[in-house]
Amino acid sequence: MDVLSTNEIKHGDVVLEARGITKRYPGLVANDHVDFEVRAGEIHAILGENGAGKTTLMSILFGLVRPDEGEIYVFGKKVNFKSPLDAIKLGIGMVHQTRKLVAAHTVLENILLGHPKTGVILDFKKAAEEVARLCDRYEYKLNLNDKVWHLSEGEKQMVEILKALYRGARILILDEPTSSLAPPETKKLLETIQIMTRDELAIVPFITHKLPVVLSVSQRVTVLRRGKVVARLNTREATEQMLAREMVGREVMFNLERAQVERGKAVLEVQNLSVYDEKGMKAVKDVSFSVHEGEIFGIAGVSGNGQQPLAEALAGLRKAAEGRVLLDGSEITRLSSMERWKRGIGYIPSEQRAVGSIGDFSLVENILMSYYYDDEFCRRGVIDAKKIRARAEELVAEYGVATPSVDVLAKNLSGGNLQKLILARVLSRQPRLIIANLPTQGLDVGATEFVQNKLLEAKKAGAAVLLISEDLDEVLALSDRIAPMYEGRFMDILPGGEAEREIVGALMAGIRQKAAEQ
Amino acid sequence: MWEFWVRSLNASTIFTVAALGEIIGQRAGIMNVGVEGAMLFGATISFIVTKTTGSYLLGFLAGIAVGALIGLLHAFFSVTLGGDQVVNGMGIWILGFGLTAYIGYPYTGPLGLPRLPAINGLSPFFLLSLLLAAGIWFFLFKTHAGLKLRSVGENPSVAEVSGINVVRTRYASVMFSGALMGLAGSIYALDYNPVWNYNFLMGWGFIALALVFFSMWNPFLLLGGSILFGALWQVSLNPEALLPNIFSRYIWRTFPFVITVIVLILMSTKWFSSRWGAARPEALGLPYEK
Repeated sequence: MDVLSTNEIKHGDVVLEARGITKRYPGLVANDHVDFEVRAGEIHAILGENGAGKTTLMSILFGLVRPDEGEIYVFGKKVNFKSPLDAIKLGIGMVHQTRKLVAAHTVLENILLGHPKTGVILDFKKAAEEVARLCDRYEYKLNLNDKVWHLSEGEKQMVEILKALYRGARILILDEPTSSLAPPETKKLLETIQIMTRDELAIVPFITHKLPVVLSVSQRVTVLRRGKVVARLNTREATEQMLAREMVGREVMFNLERAQVERGKAVLEVQNLSVYDEKGMKAVKDVSFSVHEGEIFGIAGVSGNGQQPLAEALAGLRKAAEGRVLLDGSEITRLSSMERWKRGIGYIPSEQRAVGSIGDFSLVENILMSYYYDDEFCRRGVIDAKKIRARAEELVAEYGVATPSVDVLAKNLSGGNLQKLILARVLSRQPRLIIANLPTQGLDVGATEFVQNKLLEAKKAGAAVLLISEDLDEVLALSDRIAPMYEGRFMDILPGGEAEREIVGALMAGIRQKAAEQ
Repeated sequence: MWEFWVRSLNASTIFTVAALGEIIGQRAGIMNVGVEGAMLFGATISFIVTKTTGSYLLGFLAGIAVGALIGLLHAFFSVTLGGDQVVNGMGIWILGFGLTAYIGYPYTGPLGLPRLPAINGLSPFFLLSLLLAAGIWFFLFKTHAGLKLRSVGENPSVAEVSGINVVRTRYASVMFSGALMGLAGSIYALDYNPVWNYNFLMGWGFIALALVFFSMWNPFLLLGGSILFGALWQVSLNPEALLPNIFSRYIWRTFPFVITVIVLILMSTKWFSSRWGAARPEALGLPYEK
């Protein structure tokens, strides 16, 4: 089997075509006569907000969902997928957003697993040679005998891409390929898929945010909004501004106003803080910093470098092993969370559904969680139902939470709306210090813009904001000072206005020399 | 001394065969804590069949078949119904304990047939257990089917998207696993100690279960563990021969079980799982729902 053969596909041939794809769900048209085509050797991005119908379209193209109307053509032949297996056989490969690998197995075992041409006895030697040839061809270095759980996110993703190619994929569908990668890994991925297009592979990334990614590598872009194709563009002619407008349906401000606010006195002071994670490993190592009034302090890092334990320790949800935490000059290191809320800390947790809200509670009850200890809303242990309801209605209106009523259960809200509700609850207490842990993760362009503006407003009003984010662009755009975090330590603390993307990105990945040279 | 080692190796055979069965099941993600029950069924049925027909071959076949049937029952409960595997395993043990005591009672006593041939006292089944261990190791780590089986036990949803039938794989594994347990029981009742008594297995199945964890799910490590426990068992039966006048024999007899308990406690600690936890099949004990 020659996995590298390119058959007779010529550059520019239409390899995948969708005509009039329509899929209706009760009360919703997920895809409304969607047409688009992908050519050999091109990167064709599909862009759309959450709920624009991307997932449905992707599932239809991969045979997971059958369309109500419309036709799909692969290499010019009309196809009718009954299951993903049919799609795979015809040369379509899919790399999901969540990794589909067995962590305890080696890279090679994962690539071989379920391959139809694998013999009864595994021929590791031959397979290793073939996969190594693929790696060489696409200039990617990977040790095939490593266990997958040792690999970085980017390497795991590449294993899935290799697995699809080894199975003979000619058309690669990538679901949010850059969402969990550090900047250097994103760069590597983009380089690699560009090399792949030389072999007339067609690559279709589905993307919600990170518009620069789309612009930097793709040849064409199709934009979906509310199930319809609203724009088909050659990337050369497109700008970030244009794409965002098409996705959202209105103008989006990209250059967030970083209002210059007089920096006041220190609100939060952290001195030599160390924290253990749930596995008993030291996840935060001797971290010191302060956050001032009217300042956004951004912590940039790839997930798993200690941001989560740090945020939890500051919110009183996790014990500090060493060091001190001061709020407005008085020590709070051992205070309970409740005591911290009362003293003016507002916490926006990263897990909206698991920690930020109670799914089976109504919106009123969820708002109440930040109010029940306030004498104004709860007298001698009895809740003033009328008052809290009025407050909830006020907040839902003010923050634009799209919901038929405040009695809806929180679990029925979309991610963006739920985050608005959590923000409303926390910010309406007018905290002195806001700890925002991944506040825009998983949100679409519109909701992200809203959350970012709210944080900027809070800063202008004189609050101290601690922003923890995996999105480097977000940290760069919002922060007055930036701390790249790597393996539990701050690599540096840089002034926000001047920090260079490259340097911060390298520091996030633990590379220090580059910064030192410049 | 030769006698002591021969008895030890013969005892280890039974641990090895039963635990190999459990390894296959657990590698596919299904835990069967009722090893003892499946072995009791295998032992009793094979004993009765051989005693009534006079054929060793029929006895072994019957023991293997009844073990596979127990496996089928366990697979139906834990795969199709998605029930709690530990609870069902305990059910299998209690059922085996009660039912085999009832149906085996009329056959109490020795088998009354000429013993199976042995090599200088060493049972040929010991050699079989070595072959089985090597064969299962090869199957698990060198064949595509073994890779599929391990994937199902690590991450069934990943296996599913790779085109593997999780349900079928788990059924086959658990039935094969039960068949080996049945075989282990048959070896005990027809070869190692061919006398039927009330509760004659005395907890060997539980030791086999503990050995699976002890072995880190690896057939070769299992062999070492089985031989160690086989020797311990012999010491406990006859401590005077090796270490006279240290403890009463009743204290010696508790040793294999005390060590089993200690091993299981160590294996369940955070300390252990943070160091060696990777060997444990990730989806072990979890029902799979699409």
